[in-house]
Amino acid sequence: MSTTLEKSANQKKKEEAMSINSLINPSMESMMTETKPKPIIEIDNVDFYYGATKALHGITLNIEPKKVTAFIGPSGCGKSTLLRCINRMNDLVDIARVGAGQFRISGVDIYHPSVDVIELRKRVGMVFQKSNPFPKSIYENIVYGLRIQGINDKKRLDEVVEKSLRGAALWDEVKDRLHDSALGLSGGQMQRICIARAIAVDPEIILMDEPCSALDPIATAKVEELIHELKTKFTIVIVTHNMQQAGRCSDTTAFFYLGKLIEIGNTEKIFTNPTQQQTEDYITGRFG
Amino acid sequence: MPIEQPTAKKMPVNKMPIAEALRTVQRPTFLGITFDDAMHYFFRGNATVSILVLFLIVIFLFKEGGGFFSQNVQNLEIYRKAGLEYVDIVRTRVDNHRTLGRFLGELRTKQLNLLHGDESALAGYDAAVERFSVTIDEYQGFVSEYTEVATGIKEKFKIGLDMEVAKQNFQREGKFEESGKIVIPEIDFATETQIFRDSVPQIKVIDEKFHTEVNASLESFPAMPSVELQPQLEKFKELVKLHQEDVRTMEKSLTEWNWQKPIPWYETFTSFIFGRNWLTASFWQDWYGIIPLFVGSLIIAILSIAIAVPFAIGAAIYVNQVATRHEQNLIKPYIEFVSAVPSVVWGFFGIAVVGQLIRTVSELGVVSWVPFFPIAERLNIATASCLLAIMAIPTIFSLAEDAIQNVPNAYTESSLALGATKFQTIWIIMIPSALSGIVSAIILGLGRVIGETMVVLLCSGGRIQIPDFSKGLGIFFQPVHTMTGIIAQEMGEVANGAIHYRALFMVGIVLFFISLLLNYAAQQVVKRYKISIG
Ligand SMILES: Nc1ncnc2c1ncn2[C@@H]1O[C@H](COP(=O)(O)OP(=O)(O)O)[C@@H](O)[C@H]1O
Ligand SMILES: [Mg+2]
Repeated sequence: MSTTLEKSANQKKKEEAMSINSLINPSMESMMTETKPKPIIEIDNVDFYYGATKALHGITLNIEPKKVTAFIGPSGCGKSTLLRCINRMNDLVDIARVGAGQFRISGVDIYHPSVDVIELRKRVGMVFQKSNPFPKSIYENIVYGLRIQGINDKKRLDEVVEKSLRGAALWDEVKDRLHDSALGLSGGQMQRICIARAIAVDPEIILMDEPCSALDPIATAKVEELIHELKTKFTIVIVTHNMQQAGRCSDTTAFFYLGKLIEIGNTEKIFTNPTQQQTEDYITGRFG
Repeated sequence: MPIEQPTAKKMPVNKMPIAEALRTVQRPTFLGITFDDAMHYFFRGNATVSILVLFLIVIFLFKEGGGFFSQNVQNLEIYRKAGLEYVDIVRTRVDNHRTLGRFLGELRTKQLNLLHGDESALAGYDAAVERFSVTIDEYQGFVSEYTEVATGIKEKFKIGLDMEVAKQNFQREGKFEESGKIVIPEIDFATETQIFRDSVPQIKVIDEKFHTEVNASLESFPAMPSVELQPQLEKFKELVKLHQEDVRTMEKSLTEWNWQKPIPWYETFTSFIFGRNWLTASFWQDWYGIIPLFVGSLIIAILSIAIAVPFAIGAAIYVNQVATRHEQNLIKPYIEFVSAVPSVVWGFFGIAVVGQLIRTVSELGVVSWVPFFPIAERLNIATASCLLAIMAIPTIFSLAEDAIQNVPNAYTESSLALGATKFQTIWIIMIPSALSGIVSAIILGLGRVIGETMVVLLCSGGRIQIPDFSKGLGIFFQPVHTMTGIIAQEMGEVANGAIHYRALFMVGIVLFFISLLLNYAAQQVVKRYKISIG
């Protein structure tokens, strides 16, 4: 496919690209030349540490509203770390800290002391890898977010439950057993309960950390279909291990490697014509 | 699928645009404190108060106990200055002589048994014994005489102390006139103790007579009527030789004795920590040595844990791994119920049933071959340990059961899936995985047992004495006293602030440190050996 000479040249080019400030990284440049709506999330040259270990190196990327953005990359490259920064879940880890850079949502620096982290998390929902419904009824799971905001109006709650469950494509499956325990559902249903629970509080952004990795193909297909539906209303950032999944349901794909952003761009372009050799190697399955 | 149904009225949860919300929304505050902060401070306050209270208790404990050492210095000083120490030098020898006399008495009993009660053959022996016994009489007289002298000096000193206290009380109340009236007589120890120094020549005279008479008495012993007892008589003679050596050193000790010799600073500590006597409210000299109590507590604790562990751990494994759900529901509450029985009830049960049972069993003919059976005391280490074992079982059982419960199910399942039997899985996977938890359960059980008071007070026999280790396993059937027991028993009787009171506090502090150490050890075990299979 490529001669040794070509390869080393390629290597060189890549190293050059990585050594330059990622702001003027060629892949970024190409992205910025396209006309795009104003990004809802701006990640600006972020360094992130766990204690003394640097987990993220100068990450800069923008996420557009009402689009699905996928983070891909081998295990341990920092995808979850970056995702959890967006709703400050990393605040829960004692040794974690943002060393440099900014996260902005709609132009607001979310790590600014005046920002209320509770409000932030109301607006930036999260779905975890392991579906984790509370040991309560389906109904109570969905309305949890509203109840803690002091919304207890029965009519309103019923309305939200139906809307959210329909939104999560689950209404028909569970409408007759809303008051049964959520733990009695199948894995795929539980994960969609978690999604419904997240959208019930009407967030702008939904973060999903490998939401399908514990699901069977049919359940995965359902969740993927759901993600597709949801993007008309929400901005979605999804971490995935599954190339096909990223290909199928995202608009933009960002590839990370060893805590660095290697490439970000239109999903179709990344998958068919990546600019970076590492991206190509990863996507074609040569490593990772 | 449409996300919004025509029936569902649009009523957004979030009315503000996100940017505005992030910029402006703040938690409601009261005096600049949010509800979360208030909760935070409240709980922190609670934690601080409990720590503070604990701290104050510890301070109090140390304040009350710490004074012991300065008072003990005085206690030891007066022992020397008033000449009690001098008299005790002689008294020890007298006591040793008595012990040798008892040896002869035991030998006589054995001989008499062999002779089937025929005393006539023992006439010569008895005469010799009598002759040996009286050799100590002059020392005995010496001791009695000087005991009175020493007690007299000590009395004077004590009166001085009391007057001192009275004076201080007057001064504190502002009654300086009264306090001025109290003149504390100076005790001139040099003259008071002159009498002891003058007595040394007297001892020398007694000494010489003693040695010749002892030698003569030894020669007057006839051969034992039974040949097999002859070696014991020879052994006795050797012991007497050693005793005589010891008596010879006595003169030197007496000459060297000096009321002025300072007590080394560490003696007040060592006499407590290594002291082999706990002797209080005695007319002669009080000793506050913790060793007999410590050893008592320790032996009782170790024996009870040794009894409790097999039952508790076995039950924990059985209940968690083998028992059916029905059995579990039966056994668990029963074992845990045991800890609801008040300890005084156990103590009562121990006295009335267990102690009697142990003694009755030891008196049975079938077990008479056991060297230390039948046992003399109904209440002894074994009685207390049996009861404490019953009390420790629920603690160890519950904690060990939790530890076993916490072994991830995946381990057991993987082992079974590889074709291991249930018991292989229990031995090779489960117990090692739960070992740190089990060990810490045992350590905490030990803590529970050492701290237990009522049962040991009632059932351990209450004899303040280091058990006789030469008895082999018979040691477990001797009565002892314990650290917790002594505090419970004596605390009510002592005067506030007296040395005895402070000594009890010191025992409390020692207990406190033991508990601290055991808890720390349990934590370390859990932390360091979390889950790992060797
Ligand atoms: N709580 C944590 N404490 C310390 N290091 C962590 C923590 N979480 C993740 N890391 C480290 O940060 C790096 C990135 O982890 P992560 O974001 O979970 O990777 P990914 O999700 O891409 O697999 C890894 O090297 C991981 O070991
Ligand atoms: Mg991850």
